[in-house]
Amino acid sequence: MKELVEYIVRSLVDNPDRVEIKETPGEGSILIEIKVADEDTGKVIGREGRIINAIRTLAKSAAGREQKRVQVEVLSKEVQ
Amino acid sequence: MKKIRMKGKSVEEAVAGGLKVVGLDKEKAEIKVVSEGKAGVLGMFGGEEAEVEIREKLGKEEDAVEVLQEILNLMGLMAVSEAAGPVSREGEDIMLNIKGEELGRVIGKDGATLKSIQILVSSIVSRDFGEKVRVFVDAGGYREKHDASLIRLAKEAAKDVEQTGQEKRLPPMSAADRRVVHVALKGSDKITTYSEGEGAERRLIIAPK
Repeated sequence: MKELVEYIVRSLVDNPDRVEIKETPGEGSILIEIKVADEDTGKVIGREGRIINAIRTLAKSAAGREQKRVQVEVLSKEVQ
Repeated sequence: MKKIRMKGKSVEEAVAGGLKVVGLDKEKAEIKVVSEGKAGVLGMFGGEEAEVEIREKLGKEEDAVEVLQEILNLMGLMAVSEAAGPVSREGEDIMLNIKGEELGRVIGKDGATLKSIQILVSSIVSRDFGEKVRVFVDAGGYREKHDASLIRLAKEAAKDVEQTGQEKRLPPMSAADRRVVHVALKGSDKITTYSEGEGAERRLIIAPK
């Protein structure tokens, strides 16, 4: 799961070396947090959230096999 | 696509180091100088390193096939990505197809997974080439069949509008589906189409001209 999100995010941004993905397993669910360079935030979210929603859909599909719920969030400067 | 950013004391050094790391010959690589670097005092202090970006020379289609395959692998799907030959759809640049055992999982509910895959492959290939590249991704003919039934529905509705002279509202559809219908009906001189509503409720209206 983490590898899937990491590959996609690294491929979308201009600063792949500044991508950090954190996976926190919980009970019956997984939280994935994405951290990228400030100027790359928009590339990961996309217009009207198109990109991040597509990432969420694929993560959910991949998690479906393990019968787990998955939550994918982008950490941006404002909320840190 | 193999790509890397590499720093070095000089551009030449950064290029040599980068090629070694990605395992590419110079002829197979595209090299962009990010920073020439600056020599420091006595060549040691206050200097700035040179930085280059190295990427594999690939065609757009090859890159798209590779990106799609990587995503399928990482999703744990037994499926193969392939180029689907010449582009037959308006507005698309590359057509890909997915073959394999688990096409139901590749497609997802109402085609949502397949559409998400298409959005991501298009965005990644666009980033790789620094220009907008639209990639169409199908799985075992699912999208073709889906589009054909959309077009059938739209043509029937258009016929009703022509006969009754009254507007007809189609069910809410995604942007991609609305585009398919719009393109299918745009040749008509009797009816016209426009969109109404926001987000998931956005739908096409067929109206007499």
